[in-house]
Amino acid sequence: MTETPLPASPAASPLIRLAGVTKRFGDADVLTDISLEIAASETVVICGPSGSGKSTLIRLINQLEEQTSGEISLDGRALASLSSEGLRALRGDVGFVFQQFNLFAHLTARRNITLPLTTVHGWSQADADARATELLTSVGLPDRADHYPDQLSGGQQQRVAIARALASRPRILLLDEPTSALDPEVIGEVLAVIAALARDGVTLIIVTHEMGFARRVANRMVFMDAGRILEIAPPEVFFTATVHPRARLFLDRVLSPLHGATDE
Amino acid sequence: MALDPGVILNNLDYLLWGRAPEGEIGGLLLSVIMALWAGVLSILIGAPLGVAGWLHPTLARRLLFPLADIIRAVPLLFLIFWFYFLIPLLVGGTAPGAVMVVVALTAFNTASVMYLVVAGFRALPAGQSEAAHALGFTPGQIVRRILAPQALPNILPSALGLGVMLIKDTSLAFIVNVPELTTVAGQVNGRLQVYPAEIFLTVGALYFLVCGALALLAGRFNRKRGVRR
Amino acid sequence: MSLDLQAVATGLPALWLAQGFLTSLAVTVIGAAVAFLLGGLLLALRLTPWRAASGFATAAIEVIRNTPLLVQLLFWYFAVYRLLPDTVRSWIGQDHGFGRLPQGPSLLSAEFLVAAFGLGVFFSAYIAEELRSGLAAVPEGQAEAARALGFSPLAGLLYIRLPQALANAWQPMIGQTLNILKNSTLASGIGLAETAYQVRQIESYNAHALEAFAVGTLFYLASGFGLARVLARLAPRNPGGGR
Repeated sequence: MTETPLPASPAASPLIRLAGVTKRFGDADVLTDISLEIAASETVVICGPSGSGKSTLIRLINQLEEQTSGEISLDGRALASLSSEGLRALRGDVGFVFQQFNLFAHLTARRNITLPLTTVHGWSQADADARATELLTSVGLPDRADHYPDQLSGGQQQRVAIARALASRPRILLLDEPTSALDPEVIGEVLAVIAALARDGVTLIIVTHEMGFARRVANRMVFMDAGRILEIAPPEVFFTATVHPRARLFLDRVLSPLHGATDE
Repeated sequence: MALDPGVILNNLDYLLWGRAPEGEIGGLLLSVIMALWAGVLSILIGAPLGVAGWLHPTLARRLLFPLADIIRAVPLLFLIFWFYFLIPLLVGGTAPGAVMVVVALTAFNTASVMYLVVAGFRALPAGQSEAAHALGFTPGQIVRRILAPQALPNILPSALGLGVMLIKDTSLAFIVNVPELTTVAGQVNGRLQVYPAEIFLTVGALYFLVCGALALLAGRFNRKRGVRR
Repeated sequence: MSLDLQAVATGLPALWLAQGFLTSLAVTVIGAAVAFLLGGLLLALRLTPWRAASGFATAAIEVIRNTPLLVQLLFWYFAVYRLLPDTVRSWIGQDHGFGRLPQGPSLLSAEFLVAAFGLGVFFSAYIAEELRSGLAAVPEGQAEAARALGFSPLAGLLYIRLPQALANAWQPMIGQTLNILKNSTLASGIGLAETAYQVRQIESYNAHALEAFAVGTLFYLASGFGLARVLARLAPRNPGGGR
């Protein structure tokens, strides 16, 4: 049973809505007819084989990519119609955590957090510094504030990256395979931070291969393959009684020790 | 400010080859000849030095690189001054100005060629010479048949870049009055006085044509390599 | 062949050398400042989406890099300087109380101004290219993260990408500054009384060419070394490492 509290009742209008979204890169259709609704405070985990379009999907939600057709809306307002001012506000409301962390290499951990607050959102330096200290403490790195990224381990860098993404108090956090680039021994510390966020009621959309973690924190699992959503189900259904044959195949491979290969 | 092309047409032959009809080569022709001599000599001396430096790192570190660094740290014009002073002493008489400038250019460029060759060999995958060694090749064969053919495509574009610099550096002969293109242009300007724009724009254009052609060649060679990868 | 250093260490030759050294250093520093400013400007033009501007910058860089510095100096000095208004030129030609280095050389002379400007223009092309390479070496993820955090493209360039580009390009920039020092000798071709000029002056004055060349050479070696050390100290932190 998931540890995350259930979100607002399904009758409430969704926070994020994708309808008939497609994305083409040149000749290739990366996403086809994606429709999905996400409620406030929900934790949604997107999984599937490589190349299924999972990363592209979440990158559409903060408009790092633009959809080729279809509508994406937040609070009922379409993202496609946003001005540059609107995009800036969007990115203050939707945080993004990259697989490769992408901390600003020439800035300390503290400055990575305060610079966007002061330059993009107009906070005072004092308020930004206070917020940075608060966040670094909450991710367990209060004494690393003045370290540069190349002085931090991968797990520490990703925790700072999560702190940076949370600085502007976004309602939604997008995480693109947050632990895929980490050494196994530090994956746990990052997953713990993400699990805490789920408990705090932040809307989370996570692309990950960490199935054990997903089982514990997700409200819903979304399975994608070849650019389409094939199954959406709560974890207790998804992991025991999955419906779509390709989803079943994927789970068998991911969860079995030999990843689906036979040893005869 | 109108430019008068007639001035250029009247003096173009002098700019292009100086007093060649009277036996004294000058102008752009002399610039190119000096650059060619310096280029060829610096490759003949610098490439083997580069290979030696790559094969014997201690020799490189203790002798070759420091010497090259000193030569390159001195302004080229001072190198020219030094050779103007030293060569007559060594030779026991006067030597033609153009020759002394070529010697200075050669010294300067040899250092660059040497560094270029070392870098080109260093950029090769480490396994190449090891594999060749394991197959029984001698060191000489390894360099000539295995490594050099692979290093050459890397080195060539930068070598052409050195060629561009050489052509431009021949203009320093102006300071010591050797009649290459820039000196000759200065003479024409001194004589006519009132057409500096026409003269120096033309001279600039002439250099640009030669250097630009070399640079295009280097670029084309780079693109070809890119496709092959 | 004996070395008579007294011949260059005292009297007029010593004064000339001192003036020459100071002039060489001054024209290098000011020329470098002009080069960095113009280089930044050229880079900015190359980065704009406006094709006329970026095309102009690319063309300017190509022309500058494929013509000799000396020809450019001669062009500025003989063809362009006299296009300045008469009043400006005569003001420059006057004897002013200010604008002089210790020992006397004037910074407000046509030769000095043209030399500093010409060196600046020539090397701005090289600096623009070094900065552009440095910018290209900044990982794409940095720009993405900046976008995801709400930075405008311009803010992302100024706060995130350019500082890292500068750190990447610092080592080549030191090299270019040393090139400016060495190429300042070409200014003797338009009559600037810097070190190369003074050295030849001494040669014809008391024929002590060897001593003069030796001292001059030492000056460039020492200045180059010192300049490189100072600039290396000022290097921005390079997270890419390796340099």
